[in-house]
Amino acid sequence: MIQKAFKWLMQPLGLAAVLIVALAVFSLVVWGIAQTQKPPEQPVPQFPHQLHVSFGVQCLYCHPGAVRGPSPGLPTVSKCWGCHQQIAKTQTSVKLAPLKAAHDSGTPLQWVPVAQVPDFVQFNHRPHVAAGLNCENCHGDLSKVDIYENPQVMNMGWCLACHKEKSAGNPELYIKLTDCGTCHY
Amino acid sequence: MTQKISRRDMLKLAGLGATTAVLTGCGPASKYVKREPYFSMPEYTYNGESTFYATTCRECAAGCGTVIRTMQGRALKVEGNKNHPLNLGKTCARGQAALEGLYNPDRVTGPLKQGRGNKLSGSAVTWDNAIGTVAEALKNHKPDEIAFLMGLAPDHLFDLASELTGQLGAPAPIRFGALGMFESRATLSRAAEELFGQAAMPFFDLANADVVFSFGANFLETWLSPVAYTRGYSRMRKGKNRRRGYLVQFEARMSQTAAVADEWIPIKPGSEGLVAAAIGKLAAEARGASAGAFKNVDAAAAAKAAGVSLEKLEYLAGLLASAFNPLALAGGAALAQSNGLQTAKSVLALDALLGNIGQPGGVFLSPLAPGQEAYHRPASAQEMGEFVQKINSGAVKVLFIHGVNPAFELPKSFGFIEALKKVETVISFATFPDETALMADYIFPDHHGLESFGYQRVFTGAAESALSGAQPTVTPFHDTRATADVLLAAAAQAGQALPYADEYEFVKSKLRQFVPLSGGFFAAPEINTFMAYFQQYGGWWQTGNALVAPAAANAKLNLAEAEFEEGEFFLVPFVSPTLGEAGANKPWLQEAPDPTTTVMWNTWVEINPETAHELHLENDDIVRIVSAAGEVEAPVYLYPAIRPDTIAIPFGQGHTAYGRYAAGRGVNPADLFGPRVNEAGDLAFAGTKVRVEKAGKYRVLSRLESKIGVYGEGMGEGH
Amino acid sequence: MTTIDLNLVGAKGALVEEAEGKWGMVIDQDICTGCQACVVACAMENNIAFVGEEDSGYGRSMHWIRIERFWEGEYPEVKMTHYQPMLCQQCGKAPCEPVCPAFATVHSQAEKVNLQVYNRCVGTRYCANNCPYQVRSFNWRDYNDDRLDEAIASLKNHFNPDVTVRRRGIMEKCTFCIQRIHKAQDKAKSEGRAVADGEFTTACAQACPADAIVFGRVDDPESLVSQLARQSHGVHHLEELGTLPRVTYLVGGQ
Repeated sequence: MIQKAFKWLMQPLGLAAVLIVALAVFSLVVWGIAQTQKPPEQPVPQFPHQLHVSFGVQCLYCHPGAVRGPSPGLPTVSKCWGCHQQIAKTQTSVKLAPLKAAHDSGTPLQWVPVAQVPDFVQFNHRPHVAAGLNCENCHGDLSKVDIYENPQVMNMGWCLACHKEKSAGNPELYIKLTDCGTCHY
Repeated sequence: MTQKISRRDMLKLAGLGATTAVLTGCGPASKYVKREPYFSMPEYTYNGESTFYATTCRECAAGCGTVIRTMQGRALKVEGNKNHPLNLGKTCARGQAALEGLYNPDRVTGPLKQGRGNKLSGSAVTWDNAIGTVAEALKNHKPDEIAFLMGLAPDHLFDLASELTGQLGAPAPIRFGALGMFESRATLSRAAEELFGQAAMPFFDLANADVVFSFGANFLETWLSPVAYTRGYSRMRKGKNRRRGYLVQFEARMSQTAAVADEWIPIKPGSEGLVAAAIGKLAAEARGASAGAFKNVDAAAAAKAAGVSLEKLEYLAGLLASAFNPLALAGGAALAQSNGLQTAKSVLALDALLGNIGQPGGVFLSPLAPGQEAYHRPASAQEMGEFVQKINSGAVKVLFIHGVNPAFELPKSFGFIEALKKVETVISFATFPDETALMADYIFPDHHGLESFGYQRVFTGAAESALSGAQPTVTPFHDTRATADVLLAAAAQAGQALPYADEYEFVKSKLRQFVPLSGGFFAAPEINTFMAYFQQYGGWWQTGNALVAPAAANAKLNLAEAEFEEGEFFLVPFVSPTLGEAGANKPWLQEAPDPTTTVMWNTWVEINPETAHELHLENDDIVRIVSAAGEVEAPVYLYPAIRPDTIAIPFGQGHTAYGRYAAGRGVNPADLFGPRVNEAGDLAFAGTKVRVEKAGKYRVLSRLESKIGVYGEGMGEGH
Repeated sequence: MTTIDLNLVGAKGALVEEAEGKWGMVIDQDICTGCQACVVACAMENNIAFVGEEDSGYGRSMHWIRIERFWEGEYPEVKMTHYQPMLCQQCGKAPCEPVCPAFATVHSQAEKVNLQVYNRCVGTRYCANNCPYQVRSFNWRDYNDDRLDEAIASLKNHFNPDVTVRRRGIMEKCTFCIQRIHKAQDKAKSEGRAVADGEFTTACAQACPADAIVFGRVDDPESLVSQLARQSHGVHHLEELGTLPRVTYLVGGQ
């Protein structure tokens, strides 16, 4: 029985079938992985980081926690509305409709954080900023993109590569920056 | 230094890195989460940092100051308020678990027409309707047909309800709570009144005492102000000039307090007053002084009645006589006897004899809170009994209930549940669907304590005169409304408006009187600044020691034997040190092991192993405990430190409602209490005697201490 | 004296520095009242799951700190020993460390405490078997998963964002509130100073109404915890096993 099936697979039509199945599986996997890499849907779908940066809005204006502690914070409707209420276009723009609707109905904007680490990683922005890193070192140049996407995979290898580089030649710092307990607890 | 191979490299070498990553990376956790900030979140709550709010713990009536850590609009942790004179930055287990009340899945989520069902009804009403209902109830009834029943805490809502009933001409609100009953507060204040000529809550200065005799006062568990008394105990142990304080506890069952005592004297229940008197007499003899009030006491007879040897009493009296700062205190089950008032007076007279009234390490009267004119004690069991009779006679047409669960906390023999059926309209303001709330016509839920404004008087425990402040630490989690606001709005609708716009204005108006006062923890030029500081520091208190040293005691003792019901065993009920009277709905309090037995999540019956052996009982056998008033069934715990003629049951479990973590778990020993009271009106629950019957079933208790029993290991034959 | 580079022999976790610890604790058993405030405070701070009546009956409760007590004698001469809060002793030479096949329980070189790295743990439970203090607890179920218990969806609002929420199959234990250590160090560093003694403390010590628990630097002889630990009635539990515990118990009066 098995031998028979094997023989059938070895003939040209069988090989084509194997190829088709293999391709299907492969593309399914690729599609699946691609799905996980897509940025999530945001409450204001076409929010342009680029435009805000070009107006000279500092990162810390909307994400002020980055210099103070672990979470940079995400802007609330009242923060957006502080500027947008003075911009006539806010009332008419289709792109800005979700913001207007949120403000008028008194519902929060549910931003979806993109640059995330797993729950078992305790990341703190403050020491990174204090060590001289700028936002764009990890998050990319937002004067060039609208919707934020992580410019690289934020995994442990990436973290450690930088930690090792920064602590080279300083044994005490090296211990601190490569200690499990620095990030995992 | 050689470049070391890191552990990560080690893992790679071992080929484990990839495997671990795969194992942990494929979790079911969704990749993205949505953040839900508040619509108009203040700037400081979304900057990624924690915000701390000072408020008052509402888990019991002591009034400890807490600081709540919040982040992004969520309360994360309860911490003690270091400035607060009562608890100096410390908290108890119940205070820590307050968050599990706030975020409990079984809270009442909005105003309901409950309709006296067995379960929480789903028929929601709007808050406008709710206020309308309250207004109708106030308007359509004669003032004396309206009654307010409130919790133990002497707080702003009690003041507001008092003002409202005053304006309506209705009877003043009644405050009650099971803790007040178990603490025998009425007996303590009555004894103070008879001895010192002033009704007040006595304050026992543990911190400065060096030999402490405690007659049944479980001051390290739930008694009056456990955090403050624990601090006093700790200081007493550390001692002045490195002289370690010595604690002797007299009670029939070794409580958590007795467990840390240097000596536990298992005397017969009801003989505490006699023992105190005998020790007083012997101590006076040892000092070569006059025995005063105790001169007619027969020490040998007292020793016999209590079941201890005379030599032991002489030795103890010697300890007391040679102490620099001796202290005797009484409370709890010792006072919950027919002769409880005499016991309290006897113990205070012992203090007087030892000369420590108004002395460091002695007995004081608790300072009144700022703005308070006289000590206002909660209703005693006797007064509650009279109130229930009034309800039962149909004289009460509208009953408002807030902060208390009498269907659970009052013994069944009082007949509250039946009486409640005679009330036309019962309106509950419960945040939690407790037994009483379910029996109400309407539930108009108040905010949780961590969501509301207010103040609370510190009634004992601190040397300073203190008013503890409360403020919302988070925006309300559910569609609840402050009861003060509901009452104010309803009063206005009923044409009986009080001069306050809302709860906040009410609190503010009550604080106005303190602005010009000096000697406070802070001073402010005007009320708005004062309010800001009041919220920032978590209250207002006067910094000086305000303990009242009472006038010389003049004791006339009439020591009588305690009267008991018929029965084989003395029953010693005690409030569960971890659950208290209302902690059963919090899962982490359920899972905090009882300090003496380490039992979790259930009720047990403590029986001396020898007695159990005679009754052919093993651990986890279910027994039926029968008293004149009722019966309960619970598993046995062989407790080595209890008199063989006594059994003990913790109070705190046995809910039929009150959320998923409490309902249907354990039994309520209050079902066994008869309605007998002592001279001061406190329930004489410790005068209950019971019969023990083997029920022929068993149920394994979850204990932290050992797995024996659970796996059938170490059990005798027949299991 | 020759030194062996323990990294090279692959036994670094087993025999880390024996000399100095960094963080330590002193527990005064004479004033501990067994009130459980530390137990609940710890649970609230560290997102510890409650397991319910049945599982706790099977000994699966997840207390990171528990209060032990023992009986001596029989009625009426019965005596309860001093309450004994038992938590991870943060051993300098921890028996749990060398037995972990996944290197999930390792010694922190920076903070000199015993770590449990949740994302490395594969749940062999060897460490719990080898712990003489029995202070490690294992997640037998997904107690904190709101899809399995809808109550968690509401209760998780108070979870501490600074501490990982553990999943099934993970071992966990007391961390000496390392999140608080990091926070205090981070704050001190941002202000350009060192962490002061008593500036922060663990959740259990913070709650303790009797002040029986004191936490601080054991490598600073002037710190309160070092001064207390030097007293003659201080003992280390199971010291004879050579575990170098960092928790000192004060037993008996002064």
